Amino acid sequence: MSTQTTANPAQSLASLSEGGYKRIRQYAAAVLAVGGLVLTVINGFSFGYLILGLWLGLLIWKPLHGILVFYSAISVYPILRVVSISLRPTESLLSRSLDIIPPGATLSSFVELFQEEEFLKWLWNSFSITITVSTIGVVIAATGAYAFSRWRFPGRRPLLIFLLTTQMLPASMLLIPIYVIVAQLNLTNNVIGLVLAYTSTAVPFSIWILKGYYDTIPPDLEEAGMVDGCTRMEAFYRIILPLSTPALSIVFLFNFLASWSEFIVAKVILQANTVMTWPLGLNELIGTFNTDWGKYAAGSVIVTIPVLLLFLWQSKYLISGLTLGSVKG
Amino acid sequence: MEFSGLSIEIILNTLQQLIPLILAILVGVILLEVGLYLLLARVIKTKHALPYTLLAPAMIALIVFMMYPLAFNVLLAFSNLERGTFACYSPVSLGACELDHLYGLDYAIQNFSDVFFRLRDGEIVGWGRLLRTADSTFPVLLGRTVLWTVTNVIFHFSIGMALAIIMNQKIRFKGIYRALIVIPWAIPAVIVGLTWRQEFHVQYGFVNTLITGLGGQAISWLDEPVAAFIAVIFVNVWLGVPFYMIMLLGGMQSIPTDYYEAANIDGASSWQRFNSITMPLLKPIIIPAVTLDVIWTFNKLDVIFLVTGGGPSESTNILVSALYNAAFGPAATTELGFAAAFSIIIFIILFIFALVWITTSGGLKEIYDR
Repeated sequence: MSTQTTANPAQSLASLSEGGYKRIRQYAAAVLAVGGLVLTVINGFSFGYLILGLWLGLLIWKPLHGILVFYSAISVYPILRVVSISLRPTESLLSRSLDIIPPGATLSSFVELFQEEEFLKWLWNSFSITITVSTIGVVIAATGAYAFSRWRFPGRRPLLIFLLTTQMLPASMLLIPIYVIVAQLNLTNNVIGLVLAYTSTAVPFSIWILKGYYDTIPPDLEEAGMVDGCTRMEAFYRIILPLSTPALSIVFLFNFLASWSEFIVAKVILQANTVMTWPLGLNELIGTFNTDWGKYAAGSVIVTIPVLLLFLWQSKYLISGLTLGSVKG
Repeated sequence: MEFSGLSIEIILNTLQQLIPLILAILVGVILLEVGLYLLLARVIKTKHALPYTLLAPAMIALIVFMMYPLAFNVLLAFSNLERGTFACYSPVSLGACELDHLYGLDYAIQNFSDVFFRLRDGEIVGWGRLLRTADSTFPVLLGRTVLWTVTNVIFHFSIGMALAIIMNQKIRFKGIYRALIVIPWAIPAVIVGLTWRQEFHVQYGFVNTLITGLGGQAISWLDEPVAAFIAVIFVNVWLGVPFYMIMLLGGMQSIPTDYYEAANIDGASSWQRFNSITMPLLKPIIIPAVTLDVIWTFNKLDVIFLVTGGGPSESTNILVSALYNAAFGPAATTELGFAAAFSIIIFIILFIFALVWITTSGGLKEIYDR
């Protein structure tokens, strides 16, 4: 805010007195921080007071940073809690402590998760199903999305509206018939059944996102190729497909993230618990009869870290892909 | 040799099932495209041969995986499929079937009217009881869905907008804040739901620990209707803010700074700058974002399902979670025929809303114009 107010002479006078005001705020912030420290020591090193003091100080000293730090904490703290619970020794699993690194931190929950549960098998089931669905989605959608992006053919508009409408379907509206179909094909409790169920939502979604990407590749490129003697088909395979490998990989990633952590459909299709994906397994761990917080938290950390890294590493493309595909068209 | 339930045998078994499926689809797509192209270009000679060819695999997939199930769903609404009659509708005979017909208008009338009111011996017995408790009727659920959607969208938008405005200032550590604030979006939804359910636990969750630490009274979040509804709304707001922040921030960064400089020279207040520059120029981003968010929130099943399961005593059910519970939930008897009818009604409500909203606001217009 203050950077934009210097243009006006009346305002620069105000900013002079603002300097004094700023110093008062700095002192107030320092007092709050020290106060927090004192309270922390008095109350036997409960660092809550220190954190509260520091934050209030920051809020007064630099309000914008104060707000952002507060919201970042809200975003991250629940995740840090999961990490913290995964490191707790068994006897203090149900402790009410808010510490992030628990006293007596141990990796035993991780060891138990692999030894006592079939965690690796859950991961493998999820992984193989996810890879299959993502591959099928990309293979089926790649050429169709290109057609939507480049040609005005009869039937295009109704089809695009249909694709848009599929995003409005309540999940159960597809899940009910698919469950009955899968049951009739005798594919419940089978990875193929789940792959078929996931493919139904992966295909329209992939077409939508890919069309958004093809729209951003200028048609001049293929036209140049065709002037040089390519047919349209050759232009697509030689020019557009290589250019859109990043897009294809993003669609692959999108489908991957969506089916990797899918729960509701898996719960319906894989009812018998003979084949489980990791979401079902983790749910089982803290289900009605079990409360294995430690193992649940350890499993959550293991499955979340790769997803989180993937997301942060690719976030620029993922976010622009989502906005391109779903908003800008 | 087996470790953590996984052995070479299991791996090979899965691959044996999945690799042929992938190969079959790949070969099928190629054969289909080549064959169809030859047919359309050489035999029929239509000028749209190439786009139709390229579209064919996607079209077939849409028909098989989308249109057929949706049509089948309509057929199911004309059926009496529930746990007790599953044998009748199975292609392999599973046992005695007591129904004299599988699909019929009488079932459809029963299923659709059950959504709104219960007919018993030709008499209307009040509003329909969709689930077990007396007050989970259609108007109650619809009202709660509207409340849920409106509250969520308002909070998503206002918090997302506030954060975007702050992040659009010249401020240090922007990248770090951005990465941290985006995190809820990146966490798998199952983990978000299950974790928050734990954290709202009356005794061990950190929410109550914080409240009591600040001198408040512990709240049994998941056992009291109002508190449980606040809890699910809180979780969904937490989940939805990053989307708005990223979208709005992206939009703000594309507004040329000249506008703001000109406004400063004219002595515009920061509210005036926001109201007459930022908001109108962000409209092409805000309207589609809100439209999508309304649709997503209206249909948001996983948060409610995972955090409260619709409880306590179905007081946090919205339409879609009641639908899920009616079809597959623990409280129901798998009344799939009724659930199919119910799902069609929910879809019609959302579709009419979307149609009215999109035509009046002009949102998503660009999507099919391009």
